[in-house]
Amino acid sequence: MTDTAERRALTREQLLSVYRTMRSIREFEERVHAEFATGEIPGFVHLYAGEEASAVGVCSNLDDRDTIASTHRGHGHCIAKGVDVSEMMAEIYGRRTGSCHGKGGSMHIADLSKGMLGANGIVGGGPPLICGTALAAKIKGTGGVSVAFFGDGASNQGTTLESMNLASVWNLPAIFIAENNGYAEATSSTWSVASDNIADRAAGFGMPGVIVDGFDFFAVHETASEAVSRAREGGGPTLIEMKFTRYFGHFEGDQQTYRAGEVEHARAELDCLRRFAARVIETGELARSDLDAVDAEVATMIDKAVDEAKAAPLPTEADLLTDVYSHY
Amino acid sequence: MGDAIVGVVANPLSGRDIRRLVTQASVFPTAEKANMIQRMLTALDAVGVHRVLLSTDLGGISASVFRAIGRRRDQDGRWPEVEFLDGQPIRQTAQDTVDAVRRMVTAGARVIVCLGGDGTARVTASAVGDVPMLALSTGTNNTFPVVREATIAGLAAGLVATGMVPADGAATRAKLLEARVGDRVETALVDVAVSTERHVGARAVWDPAKLTELFCAFAEPDAIGLSSILGQVSPVTRHESHGVTARITAEAALQVLAPIAPGLIVPVGVRAIEPMRPGSVHPIDARAGAIVVDGERELTFEPGEQPTVRLRADGPWCVDVPAVLAASARLGLLRRARQWPWSDQDLQAPTG
Repeated sequence: MTDTAERRALTREQLLSVYRTMRSIREFEERVHAEFATGEIPGFVHLYAGEEASAVGVCSNLDDRDTIASTHRGHGHCIAKGVDVSEMMAEIYGRRTGSCHGKGGSMHIADLSKGMLGANGIVGGGPPLICGTALAAKIKGTGGVSVAFFGDGASNQGTTLESMNLASVWNLPAIFIAENNGYAEATSSTWSVASDNIADRAAGFGMPGVIVDGFDFFAVHETASEAVSRAREGGGPTLIEMKFTRYFGHFEGDQQTYRAGEVEHARAELDCLRRFAARVIETGELARSDLDAVDAEVATMIDKAVDEAKAAPLPTEADLLTDVYSHY
Repeated sequence: MGDAIVGVVANPLSGRDIRRLVTQASVFPTAEKANMIQRMLTALDAVGVHRVLLSTDLGGISASVFRAIGRRRDQDGRWPEVEFLDGQPIRQTAQDTVDAVRRMVTAGARVIVCLGGDGTARVTASAVGDVPMLALSTGTNNTFPVVREATIAGLAAGLVATGMVPADGAATRAKLLEARVGDRVETALVDVAVSTERHVGARAVWDPAKLTELFCAFAEPDAIGLSSILGQVSPVTRHESHGVTARITAEAALQVLAPIAPGLIVPVGVRAIEPMRPGSVHPIDARAGAIVVDGERELTFEPGEQPTVRLRADGPWCVDVPAVLAASARLGLLRRARQWPWSDQDLQAPTG
């Protein structure tokens, strides 16, 4: 049992890295929010701000053997799994230098070299994908773990439920992260999720189901650490439900007439970055100046990513028939 | 006497923490929590409680009871009038339980039933004042709440709330442990432990190597959770005035095989076992770490802070379900006359 506590203990470098990643996601999303309003970004964007502790708390337990599948709200998962921020920004701007050469946009950012199977415009599209990669890891004996992030809306989709069933009967190294931000588009999860707690559904598939405060990095990290080691060691799948709030609307432009006051409360009282910073300063693990330096470094990185994306070329007609098929 | 009002507070998040993952702890579905409340409503009405105050939540418990009330048919029998305590923000934290219990106390509840684990009972106890509470288990670690059929708990709560069973002897006063770090105070009903883990994190504790000290208000030999460590070497009942404390260290000569969480039995080294006297203040030795109350990390402390733990005698009044129903049997409270032509003699209990 001692091993588990030792494994979760984070070094100073790891804490800095975690903070840098969470701050990168926040800064990226706040910037996309501002830039989208100018009309320069094509298509839709769904922003992950507020949910950073989930992506980073989970992915900080993963390594190169592991794969993740994401959602339409995927920027945070991509950054947490190590996808290049400049390439992501270029992708969102539809540029040739983007992660998918400008052909995917926000909802289709993927980078297989990083184990990022893709953001996904299909609600409930990710869970079946990770059953495939988890099965591959199991058969090949790589020790790899696969993680599907999905929302409360996707928790009601057949694909998600079938995937949890399959992962359980095949005892796959798969982890299902239900990011319950309270609303599927504008529909409250308290109305649409019959079991109310998504984690309750785990019992029906014979796997552990846990609820975590999704604003608390340390709670997420600790829980994910246990689920990942269990999966790696052949213990099978786990369902973890994060409870939290997204800071922006379902999509940019959403009038959000279905909620009031939640975001202000969350930003002021629950915010994962603030809580993380307050905690590590209190324990003396990091200093305010360490965090300020990261903030400055991240701001510069995002500025650069936006500038480069805006300056990058668009795909041309000649690019239409490239990257149409992919082989793995 | 006024209205015989019973408050019912149910924690939608109890029984959902990391212990499902690390120790195969039990799962209490929301639907079962709602069913328990419905069975309790039937029992409360049967003994003359006509008004129930129910906490509201975003976990689906109160919504499920609300729907059940709407669907109830005449032939299903009567339920008390249920007032849902809505109209204030639900934070999905322990504060929701505190807010609901305070409203119940203010509204004149005579008994407050709480559904949850040790954590929920602890939070309820902090807000009930002198109103008797009845803690029913729907959580993970159930040393303080009882695992008992909700129908029977409902009967007991109703018999006390209506005054049919005098509160004297029907409720006993629990002990309380008070952990203090500067201005921050947490109370525990069963045990306080000190962990060297720096963060509250996933709250639950399942690694004895991280524990340094343990304080128990009571330590029963058949307990689950951290108090089981001392329950096997220096038992203390709920009714004795003292508690017990010890140091936890892997190097100790005395090793106890203790069920420190459901599904988790581990050897724990114990030394320096001493009684805790009510009121005496015990300083904590560790330099930095987390204070664990009733099995969950709640307070962190840093070098320079000096946490203390104190045993108090003025814990919550708790309804003693077997004692209430025994009194009811003695007083014949659940006996009823059949319709004529049956005679009253049929109602007399056999003597001798």
